[in-house]
Amino acid sequence: MQDCHKSQKIAICMVGLPARGKTYISRKLHRYLNWLGYNCKVFNIGNYRREICGTECDKTFFDSKNEQATKARNECAQMALNDLISFLNSDGEIAIFDGTNTTKQRRNMVQCSLSQQCQNVQTLWIESICDDADVIQNNIRLTKLNNPDYVSMNPEDATKDFLGRIRMYEEVYQKIELDENLSFIKLINIGEDIQIHKVKGYLLSKIISYLMNLHIYPRPIYLTRHGGSTFNQENRVGGDCDLSQQGIQYSEQLGKFLLDEFPTQEKRNQIHCLTSTMKRATQTADIVCNILKINYLQLKTLDEINVGICDGLTYTQIAIQFPEDFAQRKVNKLTYRYPRGESYLDLISRIEPIIYEIERSREPVLVIGHQAILRCLYAYFHRNEISEVPQLEIPIHAIIKLTPAAYYCEEIRIRIDPETGERKQIEEYLQYERVNLLTKKKSYILL
Amino acid sequence: MQQYKKTQYKLILVLVGLPARGKTHISYKLNRYLNWIGYKSEIFSIKGAQQNNDGFDQKIDYELEIDPANQQFVEVRQQLSQIAAQQLVQFLQNDGDIALYNGLTSTKADRQKLKSLFKETLKLEYQTFWVESICDDPQVILNNFNESKLSRFQDKTIESFTNHINVLAKDYQSLENIENLSYIKLINIGKLVKVHMLEGYLCSKIVSFLLNLHANNRQIYLVRSCQTEYHLLDKIGGDPELSATGRQHSQQLGDYFIEELKGNKNITFFSSQMKRGIQTAEIVGEKLGIKALKTKNLDEIDYGICDGLTVKEIAAKYPKQIKERKANPLEFKYPRGESFLDVIHRVEPIIYEIERSREPVLIIAHVAVLKCLYAYYHCNQISEIPNIDIPINCVIKLVPIPYHCLESRVIIK
Repeated sequence: MQDCHKSQKIAICMVGLPARGKTYISRKLHRYLNWLGYNCKVFNIGNYRREICGTECDKTFFDSKNEQATKARNECAQMALNDLISFLNSDGEIAIFDGTNTTKQRRNMVQCSLSQQCQNVQTLWIESICDDADVIQNNIRLTKLNNPDYVSMNPEDATKDFLGRIRMYEEVYQKIELDENLSFIKLINIGEDIQIHKVKGYLLSKIISYLMNLHIYPRPIYLTRHGGSTFNQENRVGGDCDLSQQGIQYSEQLGKFLLDEFPTQEKRNQIHCLTSTMKRATQTADIVCNILKINYLQLKTLDEINVGICDGLTYTQIAIQFPEDFAQRKVNKLTYRYPRGESYLDLISRIEPIIYEIERSREPVLVIGHQAILRCLYAYFHRNEISEVPQLEIPIHAIIKLTPAAYYCEEIRIRIDPETGERKQIEEYLQYERVNLLTKKKSYILL
Repeated sequence: MQQYKKTQYKLILVLVGLPARGKTHISYKLNRYLNWIGYKSEIFSIKGAQQNNDGFDQKIDYELEIDPANQQFVEVRQQLSQIAAQQLVQFLQNDGDIALYNGLTSTKADRQKLKSLFKETLKLEYQTFWVESICDDPQVILNNFNESKLSRFQDKTIESFTNHINVLAKDYQSLENIENLSYIKLINIGKLVKVHMLEGYLCSKIVSFLLNLHANNRQIYLVRSCQTEYHLLDKIGGDPELSATGRQHSQQLGDYFIEELKGNKNITFFSSQMKRGIQTAEIVGEKLGIKALKTKNLDEIDYGICDGLTVKEIAAKYPKQIKERKANPLEFKYPRGESFLDVIHRVEPIIYEIERSREPVLIIAHVAVLKCLYAYYHCNQISEIPNIDIPINCVIKLVPIPYHCLESRVIIK
């Protein structure tokens, strides 16, 4: 549904004191919008400041009465803004301006620059307000102490300096007011209070819905394929067959594994279990949820990719009966659509409501799904590029535990032997290693 | 195991606001939406309590008699409000899922009383969500009047009604955070929105839905894709192209819309991703000078194993399925295919898009999908869906106005 909704460019500008989660929100939005297929980029004023002024800036650099430093900071903001405007005027579609933007004057300058220098742009301001001291302390601990600004300092001094920096900003902070006539959303105390003003349009409405569901409660997301099925054994695609004997065994072992992960019934009752409407998945869910004594939810949205006319065939048969299609799929597995079936892009669009559901959930989530569907879900949380989705490795008879943290996603993979129940963490099994330069985390991708 | 429905507890939606602020309109729209997506939902209001109770004079419209100086009417309104709350509790105790309350809630005291009533009498787990509508833009208030109240005024004048509202406004207390209620405030029909303590799957959905509402009465055109050879052979499903006659009819459709839309190119135009949908949309779009947004959500219902067969073949090959479908046409799922409930779920994002759009909407899709879309605007029960008639070569024009939906059908020859 993205074709015509791309007519307007969008600039999203953050507002808020330091350690209010602006960069967290920027990155999550960036992930979500790229995922939907938009060309989106984040422009972080802090990064520009670090490059130009260096990283040895203590809190006095942020004092509004320090004229020289203020001039330097304004120049950095202007440079970031200029790059943002060039981006939108070329092939960029959505730009996120990640900075404090805490004064009316600054916001006015940004709003004017955008409307004058960008053709046809819609602006959305996101203000993050938080007065809970514990949350702020936690934010500082999780995200600031690893920041290049404080790499050489010990944690106590760094925290003290950072709190001093916040006080500098507080002295001149002006919250967004209605008379500034901006389209904005205010997130107060992590969504306890939300205010939305003058928001219209398809994409902005979507962004608002997404933001209302964000939270920072760390909760695990378990992804597993259904137990092995008779079709898996025969290497066939599609179909709606039953579990094989091994599949049943895996389901039982999986149930036992989760019993250990969640030692009390109270904890088990909190699990959201989602599965598809296909027999092999519901049979797995039946066994697992019986052991855990919880309910599960069947969603057709989690059904495996529809392989259309190739349903029930093996890959060899497809190569023989539909050689053109087989070749086309090899060339571009992402966009190739099975005749009368779906493509990976269709899947990505199909699972969007599930992603909302999982984002919104503050409790552990267990998804019992299928290979292609799980590739899409995994890629979203693990921040893979869309082009990598069709090649991601989601092994059978293994469970993947993802715990989204501030700027990255922790992952643990455990293979569970269906017969013996032996659990082995998969660490070394990778054919190609890609190190995410931003987070220094590895992903597992098949060539 | 439940499909799609995730409520472990009941939900009470309480409407707050001065008269002529759109509360009834919002409650009708919400109720329609919630019933459509499969919940058992009902509205409990002063009017409803009066209609169900012969003890009250049915000739007096107690929703309009708001004169705070008239002690008799004030007492009757309080009684009716109480009865409505009691009926609400009964409904939820039985098999209701969601109840909307449109009674007296304008002061903190009223709201506390209501909260206590629910706490004492409702013996199940439930969640309450408060929806307040505030208008301080005189133009908006005037529009509200013209749309909804004007028709109900007989001897009364608008002036005295407005005067009464101004008196009531002095005692009106808007929702505040210290009342510790989960709420959404819609100010001037969503220009400014405030949400407090939002929790839960259903409330998030309801907030997203409310954010899209507006007061523009725009037309919605529902059209089936034109004739294909499958029609001639009496086959269902498949992905056939338009026949020659089909292409001709598409041209005529295009001509009809040129006249109907009078050169307005700012319309929201959707089509399915099936060949017949795309082709019809291309021909119509070319005439109008606009391109359709193609979405798989509007694809025809998946007939599963019956896809591509004629009606006779299905009757011969799958008699058991035919019987099942006759018994429960709404929930019947074609083996390896979909049911109407699946289609409703699939088409929900399109409803959001239609609601959000302030310009005319043109949708080119297929029988089953259009039945579901039509039912959202016209039917009170989704069980009516399988019986809806969506003829080919016919433009169904819907204009939703407060409290109901105008409809006209034009057959294109």
